[in-house]
Amino acid sequence: MRRKFITLLIGLILIAGCAKAGDSNAPASAEASAQTSGPVTVTDMKGRTITLSEPAERIVALTAADCEILYAIGAGDRLVGRGEYCDYPLEVLEVTSVESGAETNLEQIIALTPQILLLGTMAQSTEQLEPLESAGIQSVVSDAQDIEGVYTAIQLIGDLMGRQGESEDLISKMKSDFAAVSANAEANKGKTVYFEVSPLEYGLWTAGSGTFMNEIAEMLGLTNCFADVSGWAEISEEQVLDRNPDYIVTVGMYFGEGPKPDDEILGRPGWENLNAVRNGAVLNLSNNELSRPSYRLAEGAKLLNDFVMEHRAPE
Amino acid sequence: MNSAREGFRPLTLLIFLAASLITFAICVAAGSVRIPPADIITIIWRSVRRMPAPADSAAYSILLSVRLPRVICVALTGAALSISGAAMQGLLRNPLADGSTLGVSSGASLGAVTAIAFGITIPGAPFAGTAVCAMASAFVSLTLILSLAYRLDFSLSTNTIILIGVIYSMFVSSIITFITILAADKVRQIAFWTMGSLSGSTYANARVLAVTLFVCGGVIMTRARELNAFAIGEDNARHIGVNVGRVKLIILITVSALIGVCVSIGGTIGFVGLVTPHMIRMITGPNHNRLLPACAFGGAVFLMLADLAARTVLNPLELPIGVVTSFTGAILFVYIFFKSRRNGHA
Amino acid sequence: MLDVADLTVRFGRLTVVNNVCFSVGEGQWLMIAGPNGAGKSTVINAVSAGVPYEGSVILRGRDLKGYKPYERARALGVLSQMNLIGYAFTAEEIIRMGRYAYAPGIFSRRAEEDNLRVTESIEMTGVRKLLKQSTLTLSGGERQRVFLAQLLAQNPSLLLLDEPSNHLDLVYQKQIFTLLREWLETPGRAIVSVVHDLSLAMAFGTHALLMNKGEATAFGPISDALTAENLNNVYGMDVFGWMSGLMAYWRRDSENI
Repeated sequence: MRRKFITLLIGLILIAGCAKAGDSNAPASAEASAQTSGPVTVTDMKGRTITLSEPAERIVALTAADCEILYAIGAGDRLVGRGEYCDYPLEVLEVTSVESGAETNLEQIIALTPQILLLGTMAQSTEQLEPLESAGIQSVVSDAQDIEGVYTAIQLIGDLMGRQGESEDLISKMKSDFAAVSANAEANKGKTVYFEVSPLEYGLWTAGSGTFMNEIAEMLGLTNCFADVSGWAEISEEQVLDRNPDYIVTVGMYFGEGPKPDDEILGRPGWENLNAVRNGAVLNLSNNELSRPSYRLAEGAKLLNDFVMEHRAPE
Repeated sequence: MNSAREGFRPLTLLIFLAASLITFAICVAAGSVRIPPADIITIIWRSVRRMPAPADSAAYSILLSVRLPRVICVALTGAALSISGAAMQGLLRNPLADGSTLGVSSGASLGAVTAIAFGITIPGAPFAGTAVCAMASAFVSLTLILSLAYRLDFSLSTNTIILIGVIYSMFVSSIITFITILAADKVRQIAFWTMGSLSGSTYANARVLAVTLFVCGGVIMTRARELNAFAIGEDNARHIGVNVGRVKLIILITVSALIGVCVSIGGTIGFVGLVTPHMIRMITGPNHNRLLPACAFGGAVFLMLADLAARTVLNPLELPIGVVTSFTGAILFVYIFFKSRRNGHA
Repeated sequence: MLDVADLTVRFGRLTVVNNVCFSVGEGQWLMIAGPNGAGKSTVINAVSAGVPYEGSVILRGRDLKGYKPYERARALGVLSQMNLIGYAFTAEEIIRMGRYAYAPGIFSRRAEEDNLRVTESIEMTGVRKLLKQSTLTLSGGERQRVFLAQLLAQNPSLLLLDEPSNHLDLVYQKQIFTLLREWLETPGRAIVSVVHDLSLAMAFGTHALLMNKGEATAFGPISDALTAENLNNVYGMDVFGWMSGLMAYWRRDSENI
């Protein structure tokens, strides 16, 4: 039971999010460039080749990140179905929701008659997806494991939708954002950050090496306290106190009961001597900026950078 | 007639107490972060003398704010779960009875999840709503399971009870899933709660556990003679003049309260309540006058050691304590089962 | 001492005992006899408050329902057919529990009276050798004697026995019945027992209640109740003929020797 819930939890953190996606500065430069037409051939992130006679007009996307990308390249209106946990931008909530992940329901998808099904990491075997093929629906896997992978995914989706121009723009915007934040890397050398994925009450979970959070910390010149841990892992509270991070980032959500996630960390008994707590350097990023393989990682990096700049000790 | 036999012999008590204290000391001394023994003594000495904490001492915080409250909570939870396991095994004359096998722990989870999903709170005491709902739901579950079992099979045979317990647990977990779907906005909070852990235990948790253990455990211990009678057989208990209805009610309420509080603080932890009483019975015999206090100590020791393993085996990672208790508990249980089979014990 | 009137026990829609009346006076030993399924054990269960019943059960002038559990246990003790034990209690622990009704509170007192009664009942039932043994390792007969010792330690004035010698070999059967007859000699005591063995009923009973299909067919002094006519009716066979036939085998063998 518990194992199942941990899997569920990690799944939720990766794909779910809260619906208060407020300040959307998504570069939805919709009609910027003319749509290309003609046959499309792409290679998806599992190395399979997909050929379309025309860019896709009807698409179902199961992961939240792919939905975000579709809207960002101005192809959101072609989304006829979305995974149940997709929540950004707000318009996506109006799209018909289908079950996703291990619960993926092919009937629901076939009923929406899309040309393309965009999947994340495949929870299904190729055989299980066969009914889609016979219904004339091609499945495309977009499975980014790092920022480079996100670029690939954006490019892939842009190609599929015939919006190469928009996807190029989106990628270069991300690159320039990342370049801007990494300009401070030298100044941040030696500073440590601790990412908290699940709060103390339920056992501390952090993001170690091989995660987007770790990659972005490195980009900013920060050292992830738990780089020795790989992926998402439950770690000992004693270790956090011992490793004494300079910054703490929590992706916890506020449930409307008790203190807010950042305040809760500031008030934990025994944590009062941590550098981060003493300097009030606790940041709450609760809109999945740092956990989804989406263009918004750049936003998250910017928010983290601003926060670090703000709390940098005067030299 | 040797009249000291029924009670807890002072020497045995002393041995159990010493074992618990030594385990406690080991668990406080060892942990994810190594603190030299000399420092530990200095830190505890300073805190006992109420001297101010030295600024900038991570060891001080780790020991006093993290490790100590956690070990205390773990010990109290272990004691509470073992006492409730022993009480139920006696009351139902069923060696497989336990909060988890009977479905009481699942019942408590249901209460807590309901409280979270529908925002049931007690004003001024955040999270108390969850605890109270967990207790109430544990009690309702236990009553429901037992009345169903009595209807099916008045002798409450091992098989009937365990079967009903398993079915009830599955039933409850389907309801929990259903509630989770209904309360989509609370999914994450519920998921977090269900995997609740004893890490992050506070002195406030310890106080709640201690008070519950003191009151409920105390009440259960005053009923040791009645539990002995039930352990021989409910009919026999009635024949010798035990008020069976009232004793049963008292035990059910106290056990539900103990399990409810433990579940709402540390989540469901399996096997402690099942295995500890069996191990202790091999030492003290089935007499609850000796069994119950010994179980309190034995359960505390077992869970403290399990938690120590959870904290240190994969350092700096932390294992869920339930993984450790289920792993060791299952092996111990098979061992006890075979051993007692051979000796003709049930 | 015990007056039972219009006793009716229902399990759901099934009436197991229907309007049964009987009474037991001091010094009497009432045998409840009848074929399987007559409701004999249910009568014992009702009188010992083990199953809900209708009608009135008056024990020493007071309605049984008004007794507190420990008061009831002081007045009335029960020996069941077969006691299964879940855990390895020693014989002594089980016998001592017989004194529960005299200190039902939170703290158990160990009065002299308790020790005296326990020792006495241990001697009477001859279980001294078994005291430290786990009851799980006892034979059926030994276990039954341990529970009898518990019952005697409880010292009630009325004993309810549900086939006390069931599963026991002849030696124990004789011992237990002889012992109970001695116990009954003290004034102010009475016994009600369910028996299958009609010869035992005839030999030890003073009174009898003959039951069939939940109803009382005859009640009175043993020779009036267990007549050939009554028994033949209830069992649907020639009971007297069968019993005398069996006895004939014993006589023939003894003549041959």
